[in-house]
Amino acid sequence: MFDFKAAARRSELCRNIRAYFDGKGYLEVSTPTLSPYLIPEPTIKAFRTEFRNEFAGNMDLYLIPSPEIFMKRLLAAGSPSIYQISTCFRNAEQLGHVHNPEFMMLEYYTLDFDDKDSIALTIDMIDKTKIAEHQEWMDKESLIITMAEAMERWAGVDMEKAEDIGYIRKEAERLGLTPDASDTWNDIFNRIFLTYVETSIPKDRPVYITDYPDKINCLAKAYSDKPCRKRWEMYINGIEIANCYDEETDKEATRKYFEEEEATLIREREGTGDAIPPADPSFPDLAIPQSSGVAMGLDRLLAAEMGVNSIEPLLLFPLSDMLVRGKSRE
Amino acid sequence: MIKAGQIDKGTALLIKGQPFVCIEREFVNPGKGSAFVRLKLKSPATGQVLSETMKSQDNAEDITVEDRDLQYLYNDGENFYFQNTDTFDQVDVPMKSFTDYEYFMKEGETYRATFWEDQVLDIIIPSKIVFTVAEAEEAVKGDTVQGATKYVTTETGLRVRVPIFIKQGEKIRVNTETKEYLERVNS
Repeated sequence: MFDFKAAARRSELCRNIRAYFDGKGYLEVSTPTLSPYLIPEPTIKAFRTEFRNEFAGNMDLYLIPSPEIFMKRLLAAGSPSIYQISTCFRNAEQLGHVHNPEFMMLEYYTLDFDDKDSIALTIDMIDKTKIAEHQEWMDKESLIITMAEAMERWAGVDMEKAEDIGYIRKEAERLGLTPDASDTWNDIFNRIFLTYVETSIPKDRPVYITDYPDKINCLAKAYSDKPCRKRWEMYINGIEIANCYDEETDKEATRKYFEEEEATLIREREGTGDAIPPADPSFPDLAIPQSSGVAMGLDRLLAAEMGVNSIEPLLLFPLSDMLVRGKSRE
Repeated sequence: MIKAGQIDKGTALLIKGQPFVCIEREFVNPGKGSAFVRLKLKSPATGQVLSETMKSQDNAEDITVEDRDLQYLYNDGENFYFQNTDTFDQVDVPMKSFTDYEYFMKEGETYRATFWEDQVLDIIIPSKIVFTVAEAEEAVKGDTVQGATKYVTTETGLRVRVPIFIKQGEKIRVNTETKEYLERVNS
């Protein structure tokens, strides 16, 4: 059965979000979902499709995992602060309570903001745009905690010492985990984070985990005084809802990211049959202004606001239904 | 050896020499991290639950298990007692290994159990079971608000919240994972 009440709540949430950002003077933009190139991200698998063109020849196109690639281009070209609600696509993730291959993403970029300004904005935005449902987490003050504090509190791991891969490997073993000999620092970190930290995040309030290790490569600025990046992730009910950067503005740092991540992506994917989307060649030359961007999974936010622990009942046509039953819900 | 990505609920693994059965499996993609599978593994011997997170390509030591049919006899609060229907041997299983199974298993019925050597790793109960309502509160007269519910107790002692029209002696279908009422069964 279709859940038309959930559909109405989704519509209400989108309407409230548009009114919120419009009221603050953000420009709503609409950027492509098909692109010949992407930002290289070895951990995200893209859907590949083919553009058939009789005259110029056929070419591969990719469904975007996020509109970041286009929205940052607009910022570099002098746009005001911008937002977008768009459909995004990620391949190879498990179908289920927090994943559907296509999903609704809200992205907003604020000029002159850093990642901490985006926390205040996000708290206010969620409060002002909430739908006519009440959940306990809405009444509680958000918990803002650094990754180092979270790792200390919930896994007893000292992140200053954890710079050393030997130390973090020993810590993983102390915690009863079995890191593989081929594990990278990121792998070991994630084993600990996913087993002990992510599962301990309080579920009664939104939680912002800030200052991620700089070893996790991304397009967020690095701190000069600690081995961390100006990045946060926000959780509600223990489920990751949003990711934010103080956007990298240094072209050299961006170029280095592109070179390293594209090389990793090609090395890991060659021969596996996974799509190898080309990296956008001109992206590292963009003059990105000081800004902070947030990417938020709206299906997950809607689930949290409706007090359900799965996005699937809120989708009119979840892929799992179409695959398993061979039919939709009517 | 199997790949961690192939581990599913019910998969039996040997961890540090001890058998464990996977009771929860969730694929997780941390932001900017590779794909992992987060597992909860339970030791049928001690009831101990282990948390483990593996990369989907990690190897795990799976064990060869065998299914046998067991007839459920009774429990004494400590153990469930079964009889192997082929050999007529009695099989004792600690109740703490199978929480709430006393509410799902009916005396005299046969269940398929997964064995590793002589140890019971898993007892398979259907995801939906029909129970007889042994005790039901009378619905309050005049209470006809749609969606009103009350509690009943099944012949196995399971308390279930049901719609008020369910009466003692009727049969109901229950989801054993959530212990929620699904529907009335007309016999």
